[in-house]
Amino acid sequence: MNSVVVLILGLVVAFIGYRFYAKHIDTKIIKSDPKRATPAKMYMDGVEFMPTSKNILFGYQFKSIAGAAPIIGPIIAIQWGWLPALIWILAGTFFIGWVQDYSSAMVAMRNDGASFGGLSHKLISPRARIILLSFIYFYLLLIAGAFGNVVVSTTIALKAAPMAWLFLTVGGILAGQMIYRWRKDIILTTVVTVVIAMAGIWFGTLAPSDKILGLDLANSRWLWAIAAFVFCYFAAVLPIWRFALPINYVASYIVFLGLFFGIIGIFILHPDFTLPAYTDFSIRIGPIWPIMFVTIACGAISGWHSIVSSSGTARQLENELDARPVGGGVMFIEMMLALFALIIAGTIYASSAEYGAAIAKGPGGIFAAGVSKFLGALGMPAALGRSYGSVMMIVLAITIMQLVIRFMRVATSELLSDVSPVFRNPHIGTFIACILGMVLVMTGWWQYLWVLFGGANQLMASLALLLVTAWLMSEGRSAAWAFWPMIFMFITTIAALLYTSFNLLQKVISGAVKGEALIGNTLMGLVGFFLVIAALILGAEGMKALKRYRAITKAQVASAAKA
Amino acid sequence: MSEEKKKKGSFFGAVKEFVYGVAAHDSARFALKSRASMEHLFILITMGDMLGVPILPPYYSLRLLPYVVPQISTWKRRMLKEKDLTDGLA
Amino acid sequence: MVPISLVKIFDEFPDRRYIMFGGKGGLGKTTFSAATAYYLAKQGKRVLVFSVDPQASLSDIFKKDIFGKGPTEIMPNLYAQEIDADRRVKEYQQEIRKKILDMYGMDKIPEEIESYIQAAAAEPAMEESAIFDEVVDIVVHGGYDYYIYDLVPLGHALYYLSMASVYDEWIDKITNLRQQMREYDQVAAVIRRDKELDEDAILNELLYIKERINKSSGILTDKQKTAFFFVLTPEEMIINDTLKAAELFAKFDVPLSGYIINRVLPRELKNQHIPEYLKNRIVMQDKYLKVIDEVFKGQILASVPEMERDVTGLGMIEKLAEKMFY
Ligand SMILES: Nc1ncnc2c1ncn2[C@@H]1O[C@H](COP(=O)(O)OP(=O)(O)OP(=O)(O)O)[C@@H](O)[C@H]1O
Ligand SMILES: [Mg+2]
Repeated sequence: MNSVVVLILGLVVAFIGYRFYAKHIDTKIIKSDPKRATPAKMYMDGVEFMPTSKNILFGYQFKSIAGAAPIIGPIIAIQWGWLPALIWILAGTFFIGWVQDYSSAMVAMRNDGASFGGLSHKLISPRARIILLSFIYFYLLLIAGAFGNVVVSTTIALKAAPMAWLFLTVGGILAGQMIYRWRKDIILTTVVTVVIAMAGIWFGTLAPSDKILGLDLANSRWLWAIAAFVFCYFAAVLPIWRFALPINYVASYIVFLGLFFGIIGIFILHPDFTLPAYTDFSIRIGPIWPIMFVTIACGAISGWHSIVSSSGTARQLENELDARPVGGGVMFIEMMLALFALIIAGTIYASSAEYGAAIAKGPGGIFAAGVSKFLGALGMPAALGRSYGSVMMIVLAITIMQLVIRFMRVATSELLSDVSPVFRNPHIGTFIACILGMVLVMTGWWQYLWVLFGGANQLMASLALLLVTAWLMSEGRSAAWAFWPMIFMFITTIAALLYTSFNLLQKVISGAVKGEALIGNTLMGLVGFFLVIAALILGAEGMKALKRYRAITKAQVASAAKA
Repeated sequence: MSEEKKKKGSFFGAVKEFVYGVAAHDSARFALKSRASMEHLFILITMGDMLGVPILPPYYSLRLLPYVVPQISTWKRRMLKEKDLTDGLA
Repeated sequence: MVPISLVKIFDEFPDRRYIMFGGKGGLGKTTFSAATAYYLAKQGKRVLVFSVDPQASLSDIFKKDIFGKGPTEIMPNLYAQEIDADRRVKEYQQEIRKKILDMYGMDKIPEEIESYIQAAAAEPAMEESAIFDEVVDIVVHGGYDYYIYDLVPLGHALYYLSMASVYDEWIDKITNLRQQMREYDQVAAVIRRDKELDEDAILNELLYIKERINKSSGILTDKQKTAFFFVLTPEEMIINDTLKAAELFAKFDVPLSGYIINRVLPRELKNQHIPEYLKNRIVMQDKYLKVIDEVFKGQILASVPEMERDVTGLGMIEKLAEKMFY
């Protein structure tokens, strides 16, 4: 099949989904009302609650949800063949993905902008909140591990990446000084720092890491894992404006320029898929169901989005009618991003064998090769394109990673400061998070990590949908459109996590793994099991709550009928 | 003609806003968030005698009152609101 | 015992234009304020004596109701004023309300704001800080050669003084905080390419408040311009308390000019035929006058006798002033 056909197919699905399905839900079931005061307006504090235009929020939501996952997911999932991945990306987004993103914003908006913790407390049970928060902690740990792995494998696969990454960091720190210290004009700041970052991409091709550090160091996983976590450490403990924020600021230009021109490149080259449409039901990491479903991750449905939607976007929407474009519309854009990644993985290699050799080195190399190819269509030299792609991959991964580490630091002090005041020290929480993440990166096989992350992420989505369902039922609205996706995601992700954890721990028990892998398998297996147990408890509590709501609605209907 | 121009203008306006949303919105939000936590402290200090802490002579804290009228209700809300961990992520 | 003359003190330090009498309740602070005002006015100086005491008694001593009427002429060059703290607070509340309504175009003060305004006005410290603020107004307004403070009993002035430095520190802290907030505002403005920010009105208010508090406490502690006199009587308890208070005042840098003894029974009575009762009192006073002489050596500026009746009306004031200033 031709890649442009895939893109067009995506646009058609997005159009129908957004224009008809989402519109139907928005007007008929949620009954969005432009006259209803949103929390942003009602509780405006100029900060968290702040009416913001939908165009800005569209960009904000996109930036917050378009991380590495929708790109890496399809690159891995194509191992089962591109067709199942394509179908799941399209169908998942259509039936589940946008539903979750949109409805989590909506449920928060209609509940005074409450966050998920608060909502689970209110709609399900007090215990649900604590379980949800500890669930989130380990879910985030898996993100740190999986994304850390991506950073490491990308820096090793592409020797231009470290220099480009370094320049970007320097440009970012400079941007922070220019914005926050010297208060220079933002356009000047942007131009100067983005040019520095671009120069780094070029300089990376001239000064590859193996030339500077020697091949041994340039290929050392230890070195790059330490680099990644030191980076995150700074991002978590330094004032956020000195490091994390401005680096992300500069990076966002690099990333979105790359995506924009890359997609144009696809239209110019419009290559055919070269990899098989379907390979096997079962591959090394597991069977197509449930494993491929969770592997695709954010490209179809992602729990991460629900956190962004509820805690961030819901408090800024100035009009209920904006929830559909911002909450739902952006998910369809994310779907296009996943298709972009799928096209890269499916078209740039001549054969399965070539692809197989590339994927063994991690997804970064594949992505960079793709970026290089499609930017090449616009005249960019291949080496430069690869450098560009590699830094995009690193940035996409590490942006989320440092946010996660920062969050884990806060969570540590909040959850454990009662145990000992030591945990209130920001360095302690950050250190713990970095070490845990480091252990995962150094000992876990990245594809397993990815599956666990994907499982946890979509399990999170299912929990978000559970909250949404509980809310819909508590209000007596029709809930099937959220309920069935929730059930499907719940069963799929529990199955995926159980399958993978069981696999991992079995290898430990049977003595099939030794050394690093022994630690990695044990840790990953235990985290997987923990997530399953937490999810089952939440699921049980949620079902109880749903039953309660159903009984209430029935009673109301009965009394209404009597009257 | 002018219609068209307006349309064009609003399209570029939208693109500009989108780019701002992608690149800068969270930075601006952060600056305002830091400011707000200080404002919180500020109101606590100046209006704190509501809580029985005489940090400023009441005569003078009353002088500041008009300027913080809009903040007082959100301030109370923030004081009462349970902090949620997930707020840190978005 | 020959005290240094009060007259000399006033001659020697013409810059000391803020005059205060401190001491325990009922010892004669108001009486001495009035007498001093009378003396200075007679010297041709323009004098304002004003009461900082919510339970002011200037009206009693001048036999004229001046409460809340602003500076009132008592005789040529002598003006007296009793601050109506209650009214000032009420007017002030009203001012604040009006400001809020104007600033936000509201037609009614929101409930919680109103309750805050009322709660603040009910604070015990409110009256005092209102009076101290008015004092600044009076002094800044000018127009007199001498300002005589009819002080409240010791405790309050001390409290105000002790708080002044604390307030000062807090205001510095708050101002800093405010400035930091402003920096973040500016950053947000830079990122969004907003135009210049408005001035921070609160910052200006804070600077104003700082200045006012410094001014009102500054007057109390200004060595060049302030003369602070302690009033005491020859009694054991009073001597002890005065000693303690003097120590405290010194701690807050109040420039003590000296002590004035009040209600000394005329010695000549001793030789007359007087009841045993009075004789005993004189003996007691003798004993404590000696103590005072030792303890406050060289700092006694005047010794004022017990008058034949309470000191009210200009006639009695004149009489007492003659004994005070010789
Ligand atoms: N030397 C004196 N001879 C006779 N009566 C006096 C003398 N000094 C003061 N008194 C009387 O003592 C009473 C108290 O004096 P005054 O009001 O001056 O004291 P005060 O220190 O101002 O008191 P408060 O602390 O209450 O303000 C008044 O009735 C006053 O007339
Ligand atoms: Mg008096």
